[in-house]
Amino acid sequence: MLQVENVLKSYDKNEVVRGITFGVHKGESFGLLGPNGAGKSTTIGMISGIITPDKGEIKVDGLSIKKNALDIKRKIGVVPQEIALYPTLSAKDNLMFWGKMYGLTRNEAIKRANEVLEYVGLSERAKEKIETFSGGMKRRVNIGASLMHKPELLIMDEPTVGIDPQSRNHILETVKELNKNGMTIIYTSHYMEEVEFLCNRIGIIDKGKMIALGTKKDLFQRLAEGTVIKVGVNKLDELFLNKVKEIDEVGKVIPRPEDLTIEIFVTNHQKVVGEIITLAVQANVNVHSLEVNEPNLESLFLSLTGRSLRD
Amino acid sequence: MKKSLLIAWKDFTIRVKDRKGFVTLLLTPLLLTAILGFALNSVMGGEGGFPETKVGVFVSDDDDLAEAFVSDVLPTIVFVKIKESKSEEELRELLTEGKVDVGILFPKEWSSGVNQGILKSVTLLEKPDQRTKTAVIESMLKSYSEQVQIHAVTTLTVMNDLSASVTASTSEINMKQVASEIQLELQSISGGELKEASIGEKNVGSMQYYAAAMAVMFLMFNMTLGAKSFLQERTTETLKRLSMTPTGKASILLGKFLGTLFFSFIQFIVFFGATSTFFKVDWGSNLYQVITVGFCYSFAVSGLSMTIAAFVKEEKTTDVISSIGIQILAILGGSMLPIYLFPEGLKTIASVTPNKWALTSFLDIMSGTTWSELFPAISILLLLGFITLALGTWKLKTN
Repeated sequence: MLQVENVLKSYDKNEVVRGITFGVHKGESFGLLGPNGAGKSTTIGMISGIITPDKGEIKVDGLSIKKNALDIKRKIGVVPQEIALYPTLSAKDNLMFWGKMYGLTRNEAIKRANEVLEYVGLSERAKEKIETFSGGMKRRVNIGASLMHKPELLIMDEPTVGIDPQSRNHILETVKELNKNGMTIIYTSHYMEEVEFLCNRIGIIDKGKMIALGTKKDLFQRLAEGTVIKVGVNKLDELFLNKVKEIDEVGKVIPRPEDLTIEIFVTNHQKVVGEIITLAVQANVNVHSLEVNEPNLESLFLSLTGRSLRD
Repeated sequence: MKKSLLIAWKDFTIRVKDRKGFVTLLLTPLLLTAILGFALNSVMGGEGGFPETKVGVFVSDDDDLAEAFVSDVLPTIVFVKIKESKSEEELRELLTEGKVDVGILFPKEWSSGVNQGILKSVTLLEKPDQRTKTAVIESMLKSYSEQVQIHAVTTLTVMNDLSASVTASTSEINMKQVASEIQLELQSISGGELKEASIGEKNVGSMQYYAAAMAVMFLMFNMTLGAKSFLQERTTETLKRLSMTPTGKASILLGKFLGTLFFSFIQFIVFFGATSTFFKVDWGSNLYQVITVGFCYSFAVSGLSMTIAAFVKEEKTTDVISSIGIQILAILGGSMLPIYLFPEGLKTIASVTPNKWALTSFLDIMSGTTWSELFPAISILLLLGFITLALGTWKLKTN
């Protein structure tokens, strides 16, 4: 469905996207994960045809974005990160407008707007102005506007930013259902739990580069030290840290002075926890908290970059 | 084109639904037209474009040139009403009683020295509150005197050259031509409004003047409203979303331009209809001319909105342009005060404002004018619209 090959984009010598390559199969739900400023939105912009890549090639259904931008735009629906709607128009008028911009006739737009409003659970508020909606409801209409022309590929750029958990769940369920009905989805987020919930395959972007790409299973297998033990201490003792690193099952050890914690990547936490406590006592370090986190994308990102996704 | 019309219609709908904007752009100009039209009715001479000017004249003897001025030149100016006095005292009395606005006292043998290029001083009697009228009559008299002196001296010179002993005679001066030349001179002195009164068949009243002036002024707000709409689309990322649809950049920009054009033109039509209906404003007998000028002006304003959108980055800046810039343009273009009251320099500057061209065109139409008279203003407005549209579109596309 989508092929992105060695795409580059710079702004004033600042390389925002540095040779990204990935593909998305028809009917797949693909997650693009990365911290803020990683290059996700620029990548989405290039796939959507609003940003021209400096180098590389993007193809949708075999059509090159350079030569067939308008044809590709008809196949794609993009949910922008911002609420890109007209606040003084009603939900239905907004949906109809965006539908018509994709070539729907007036009657088609009316019919489809009713369907979409039903789908996003806002039929009863169809005639109300967007400015009177809550953040979550606006987000739902924002998604609905991209569904008006029944796109083959739906690209969602952080669609759940700043909303309540109820709306967030509604959006996630909607996306899941769309994918189940055969729509190809590209979902970008820095919330790894959303990507984990929705996507079969995941690409992780950092500093404009694709640092990991594969199914969830593939990625977690790459993460040899899948479990992270987070230890809260009274001081970051050098000797204690070195001793912990010497344990066979321990991989990376990341001290965090800002909250006096140590993140320890381990392969077998049941075996290691006791040993860590013993070493702490020997080094005269007080342990006041201990958290064991199973492997997830957050820990994968941490292991790959040494930084948190939300940093 | 279909997509452009969709964007234009969407913009139009948004603006129509904006109650604050509706009040600002339609009710306020109607209210101001009513207030200014009624308030300045007497100052602007009721139904006259330039106020009717009652001129009292006393010619001390049978001076031919003075008589010619009174009987042949003054009557050609439509706003002038002449009252001849039998004595200086009577003239002063008429002035005191307010029966005349300006008094002209021709001295004995006023033009006896004309062959030597000398004319005696004429006394102008003025009322302190009628300074403008006096100034206009003074200009006429000065112009007439100069014309007469030139004719007389030229004739004498030619005669001398021919060694003939014939003196210059006033009968050889073509008074119609002199009057015509004075009119032309007065037009250049007094700007479009005076031209309106002197050339057109009908006079323009204060209500008519301010209906046109307010229409022109409040249509100008669409310059910033159009630009603001563009900047808002940029801020809320709807512009980005529009770019993601299968719509070309040019179509999007054209749509934004057309949105402002539709709204401006409809605003004008509604204002035109409202002033005609409620205030009985006579916009002239040629509806096509009114609509054409209204459209051309809307076109120019919409083009300017694209240029502002292209060069301004923040909505706050458009607010500044809206609150200060438009008011300056409105004053310069004659929307607040008639241009004939301006000093010379300001009259020249006024010619660079699009609203001045639109206003004078509307006033021309009200007083009765031809398409060829309107052609320069229409051309300037359309040209301004095209240039600013092209400049704005080019800049926005490259952005």
